[in-house]
Amino acid sequence: MLGYITKIRTISERLLKESRVDMVIGFRKGTVPMMNEPCIVKSPENVKELVWDSNCGINLANYLTNRKEKIAIIAKGCDSRNIVTHIIENKIKRDQMFIIGVPCKGMIDRHKIASMFEREIIEVVEEENKIIVRGNDSEKVFKKTEVLQENCAICVHRNPVIYDELVADLVEEQKDVDRYEDVRRIEAMQPEKKQDYFNNLLSACIRCYACRNACPLCYCPTCFVDESRPQWLGKSIDSVDIKTFHLLRAFHCAGRCTDCGACERACPMGINVRLFTKKLEKDCLELYGWEAGLSLKERPPLDTYRPDDPEDFIK
Amino acid sequence: MPDWEPKIVTFLCNWCSYEAADLAGISRLQYPSNIRVIRVPCTGRMSPKFILAAFGKGADGVWVSGCHPGECHYIAGNYYARRKFSLFKSLIEYMGIEPGRLHFSWISAAEGAKFAEVAIKVIKTVKDLGPSKYFIKKINDRAA
Amino acid sequence: MSKDKTGSVVVIGGGIAGMQAALDLANSGYYVYLVERSASIGGIMSQLDKTFPTNDCAMCIMSPKLVEVGRHINIELLTLSEVNGISGKEGNFEVSVTQHPRYVDTDKCIACGLCAEKCPKKVLNEYDGGLSKRKAIYVKYPQAVPLKYSIDAKNCIYFKKGKCRICEKFCPNGAINFDDQKKELTLKVGAVVLALGSKVFDPSVHDTYGYKKYPNIVTSLEFERILSASGPYGGRLVRPSDKKEPEKIAWLQCIGSRDERPGAKGYCSAVCCTYAIKEAMLAKEHSKGELDTAIFYIDIRTHGKDFERYFNRAKDESGIRFIKSKITGIPLVNETGKHLIRYIDEAGKRVEEEFDIVVLSVGLGITGKSADMAQKLGIELDRYNFAATSSFEPVQSSRPGIYVCGAFQAPKDIPSSVIDASAAAGVAGSKLAESRWSLTKTKHIPEKIDIRGEPTRIGVFVCRCGTNIAGVVDVPFLVEFAQSLPGVVYAEENMFSCSQDTQDKITRVVKEQRLNRMVVAACTPKTHEPLFQETLTNAGINKYLFEMANIRNMCSWVHKDNPEQATQKAKDLIRMAVSKAALLEPLTEPVMQINQKAIVIGGGVAGMVAAKNLAEQNYITYLIEKTDTLGGQARHLHETWQGENIQQYLAGLIEDVRSDKNIEIFLNSRIEHVDGFGGDFKTTIQHNGESKVLEHGVTIIASGASELKPNQYLYGKDPRVVTGLEFQQRLIDNDPSLGQLNTAVFVQCVGSRIPQRPYCSKVCCTQSIKSAVKLKEINPKMNIFVLYRDMRPYGLRENLYRKARSAGINFVRYNFDKEFTVATEQGDLQVAFTDCVLRRNMEIRSDLLILASAIVPEKKNPLAQFYKVPQNDDGFFVEAHVKLRPVDFATDGVFVCGLAHAPKTIDESITQAQAAAARAVTLLSAMSISVSSTVAYVNPNFCSSCGVCVSICPYSAAMFNEKNGKAEIEPTLCKGCGLCAASCRSGAINLNGFDNDQIFAQIYAMNKVVL
Repeated sequence: MLGYITKIRTISERLLKESRVDMVIGFRKGTVPMMNEPCIVKSPENVKELVWDSNCGINLANYLTNRKEKIAIIAKGCDSRNIVTHIIENKIKRDQMFIIGVPCKGMIDRHKIASMFEREIIEVVEEENKIIVRGNDSEKVFKKTEVLQENCAICVHRNPVIYDELVADLVEEQKDVDRYEDVRRIEAMQPEKKQDYFNNLLSACIRCYACRNACPLCYCPTCFVDESRPQWLGKSIDSVDIKTFHLLRAFHCAGRCTDCGACERACPMGINVRLFTKKLEKDCLELYGWEAGLSLKERPPLDTYRPDDPEDFIK
Repeated sequence: MPDWEPKIVTFLCNWCSYEAADLAGISRLQYPSNIRVIRVPCTGRMSPKFILAAFGKGADGVWVSGCHPGECHYIAGNYYARRKFSLFKSLIEYMGIEPGRLHFSWISAAEGAKFAEVAIKVIKTVKDLGPSKYFIKKINDRAA
Repeated sequence: MSKDKTGSVVVIGGGIAGMQAALDLANSGYYVYLVERSASIGGIMSQLDKTFPTNDCAMCIMSPKLVEVGRHINIELLTLSEVNGISGKEGNFEVSVTQHPRYVDTDKCIACGLCAEKCPKKVLNEYDGGLSKRKAIYVKYPQAVPLKYSIDAKNCIYFKKGKCRICEKFCPNGAINFDDQKKELTLKVGAVVLALGSKVFDPSVHDTYGYKKYPNIVTSLEFERILSASGPYGGRLVRPSDKKEPEKIAWLQCIGSRDERPGAKGYCSAVCCTYAIKEAMLAKEHSKGELDTAIFYIDIRTHGKDFERYFNRAKDESGIRFIKSKITGIPLVNETGKHLIRYIDEAGKRVEEEFDIVVLSVGLGITGKSADMAQKLGIELDRYNFAATSSFEPVQSSRPGIYVCGAFQAPKDIPSSVIDASAAAGVAGSKLAESRWSLTKTKHIPEKIDIRGEPTRIGVFVCRCGTNIAGVVDVPFLVEFAQSLPGVVYAEENMFSCSQDTQDKITRVVKEQRLNRMVVAACTPKTHEPLFQETLTNAGINKYLFEMANIRNMCSWVHKDNPEQATQKAKDLIRMAVSKAALLEPLTEPVMQINQKAIVIGGGVAGMVAAKNLAEQNYITYLIEKTDTLGGQARHLHETWQGENIQQYLAGLIEDVRSDKNIEIFLNSRIEHVDGFGGDFKTTIQHNGESKVLEHGVTIIASGASELKPNQYLYGKDPRVVTGLEFQQRLIDNDPSLGQLNTAVFVQCVGSRIPQRPYCSKVCCTQSIKSAVKLKEINPKMNIFVLYRDMRPYGLRENLYRKARSAGINFVRYNFDKEFTVATEQGDLQVAFTDCVLRRNMEIRSDLLILASAIVPEKKNPLAQFYKVPQNDDGFFVEAHVKLRPVDFATDGVFVCGLAHAPKTIDESITQAQAAAARAVTLLSAMSISVSSTVAYVNPNFCSSCGVCVSICPYSAAMFNEKNGKAEIEPTLCKGCGLCAASCRSGAINLNGFDNDQIFAQIYAMNKVVL
């Protein structure tokens, strides 16, 4: 990790010194363990704030939306794919950005570690492929692969797809990953079981919209939940309103979602909201051979069509 | 509920399926009365929120029908719609709505007979499923 | 205003060509009489199931055109009418017309169909090719225009026996009039357009196969009806004899065509190969089992745009068998209903095979009646009774002021007919330009009442439609129910809401009750919305404040046996309509001024002809040519297939264009940049090193294509190997060396019909034949070989092919899948290939090798980007609709003609250029147009600039505002499909007439049943 950090700082310093960019968007150490925060560095002196480790899960593309400055941004695989989508959707221009690509081996799941450690965590240290967690009077060592965020564990695009400079050599992409085991399990259920499953899953939702706010794809000036002509979606925590919200939120991400995990990480109730977006991701791949954010040339699948698209469901 | 009759919100595109429904009438083809037609210019006009609103407000089924691929009056509206419908249907059924509540068809202006046939089929499928419960808002705003 | 010329035109024939000519003329400022012999317009196209090469439903694409003709204020439809004669001359004709009685009052008939239901007399239905029955009182088909019944007096029991009159008894509106008399009319017109159409060949006249004797031998037109969902078997594919599903169907090509025997026609009918492919494909789609289909042919002539791909698809994907053969007989196989097709295959072997249905692919011909009429009008016909025309004036008959179009000019398909029709309108229009708008009518628009700020006052009119509605649903109850709905201040029932007296009454009620929204619960908006909107307009209310509830076609007619539920449904439908109506807003139609100038890109024949026509119609036209000379490909052409001198014509055309004061020519010029849209373009051109901005309202793209320079067969290496055009140049130059040749070989399909270029270049077969005939004339002793895959001298060009064969020119079919080489052998050119008939390798030593090389367009033509128009994979421009809008682009104000559109002959380029000009004039002549208000608009505060709308709009109407980066929709380009509104995630797009709140209101109204 040290190599990454040094490289990030060197590049950032150079770019700021040469005035190639107005700012660098990256991560700094958070006040709580395992909680790095996004930060904006504007002067070369401050590049030492920048860090990199397995707690940089937040999707930085979310901080690019509608910016006009010249920006250097640190991008792991998923961030870079969202940057591609941002470019396609006119949220930022390619020539505004210097993309510092970070080959990624996955981010760790702090909830998971917290539940496995069971005590107050004072410090977390990362060494090679190990995560060392320390409490007041105890220490526990985890293999990093055991405590990865679920979306990272099944990630097949760890390397940035677009960048101006890399901080390290590209990492090997994971092969033979079964990305959709959970989706298939639900698909196989009978309708009543599915209803129970989702009623149960969403029973904790308080409609705080944290999932939406964390998502780099959600940038509409007015969200559909606030549409007023007519106000067709109730604002209550009625179960149908909640289901409708999650369904349509996911649908709006169809063919655009990179499974960066921002939504799930943001959910204060720990709801696996990725189950909705992943279903669409799976369908887009199976029906249209599409994965989001891999190409600057093609718009997402709902913005285009092929005359021979599958249509078995149509009478 | 022996006397229960489902209601099926039916969206027909102006240029093909709406004409087909007219033609079914001209040909006096009989089908059950459960569908309620809303005319839209094109299946491309169909926002998923209309379907969600229909289910949310108590529709037992929703049926959307338009021109055959390649015959869209607006060149390609139904091609775009087809992708939307494909993903939407898959998602809402994944979330538990019964397959058989949401239907799509391509019916050209000349296919009055097909319109009646599909109507019969759609109505029967929805009727067999019984009243929709899962996606209906419980709050009774009948007074409105 | 007195003008020297009469500003009206009569179009004779109401098929697709006649309809198109009438619409183009009426839309460019002329009053049109459309004379149709039968009771309704539509012609042969109305009988077709689907159309090639897209398999579009024929009725679906045609019916909006039918409605437009029927409702056009400047088209007067004269059905059941015949022209007796024409006097006068160009500019001022008098046309005498006899209108036969319909016996049904069209003002009163509401087409409820009760008369036909009760009529006791059944007759064979000619619309269904005699495969079904109709009544003696009937409409041809459900979408017919005018949608009025008529009595076929020849079959009516009352007219034959003096009693019956059942229809009269049951007609709810007193529309039957047995005393109807024929009328004699005289029309004063400035020009005449003949669109007399054609009739399919009747194989029973000179019977060889047993058509009419055996039910399972049908013509291709009858087979269309069998395939059609509205046909005799409801679209079920069955054998006529026993209504069983067939397992094998055969098509026999060239029935009545390419056949000089008595009764048949020597020419090629040009459409049958492709329609047979279409029918075979559709039959396979219709069939539940594994249907086997075979097409027995002489040559497959899929020469039209994208037809070759269609053929390949049929062969490779659909598995249709193509058998090159000569049929010797098709006897019935006893009791099975099957027929045994006996044929001789290409190698000369006798073969037999059984089929369940045999379809005779019948050709097109001119009826005796049409020929008689042509004689009466004094126009010349050719030996087959097609109108005689020259290649350079393809729609001009021999009599000035009389124009011809469609299959009356030569056998042709729908798009060619439509192009002809527009061309005829364009040429007729160019002669009458001074009298434009002199005889047309304009709608009287009463004073508008401003309803803004008023409380909603909805009026509901529930139609009984005689017993059509009231016989099933409880109309008085519906009226009472409607009165209880919020916003409704008035409701009443009418016996026939659409009758003239009720219309007047509704107008009165709207005024008296100060209604500001209207709902009519009756039949379908598809036919009646414009009528009621007009009623509303007459009462001073904006026509967009109207909504219909379809309680007839979608309720009473389809739920006859369940009056109670039908009434419940009607209630819902009315509630839905009322709740939408309450949210309707008055809309004004945006008016766009049309810049009165035109730009034509491309200085070849197509571009020049288009420019010349526009100039003749008094429009300033800029003609842009990238090279330093006018003339394009035609500069290398010697003669047309009919022997007309092309260089002479070209010189004349260039002179005309140069000397026309309305035409400004820019040579050595390229388009650099384009701003604006249809009606208001700003095109920047680079001319002699300088940029120049031209403002114009319309654009015609005639950017052409060129001949492929082959990279095979020693071309470029041996001077004795030349392309077709290079050879033409030698003919133009009168090259004396041509007389010295002993042997000449033509090779067809060089670079065409190959995987990398899967289209037919269309012109090369005829050009090679013509060149071969020329060589034979120069030196009758010369050995001439034409090596081909399929000979495609389509239409009347077949005669030239026949002439060439009798002149001793050798036509040899080479095996495309085997090796074909050209080499030099001891100084001689040696061509080696495999002969399909002999199935052997052949070698020919030749003094000259002429390669019929492909026509290739510019693949990434920048014009596509500039004018937002598409190109296909081959690089040809893609028209708005292959069948019915063959010279338009989907983008308004831009048109296409000539080789840029597809390979075509010079006469076809000329016709298409005239058509493009005519279509352009429909826009220019209007000066300004008001466009529909059913358009989308963006609320910039909600727009996230994501670009979905910009990327998906099929009409390029959505674009970014360069200042604020938000999306905008150009209302004059928007067609109101609503795709953008449905796709906008941030809810920034609204669609007038079908807005979100209105659709939600309908959804909500349906489900809130309060019983």
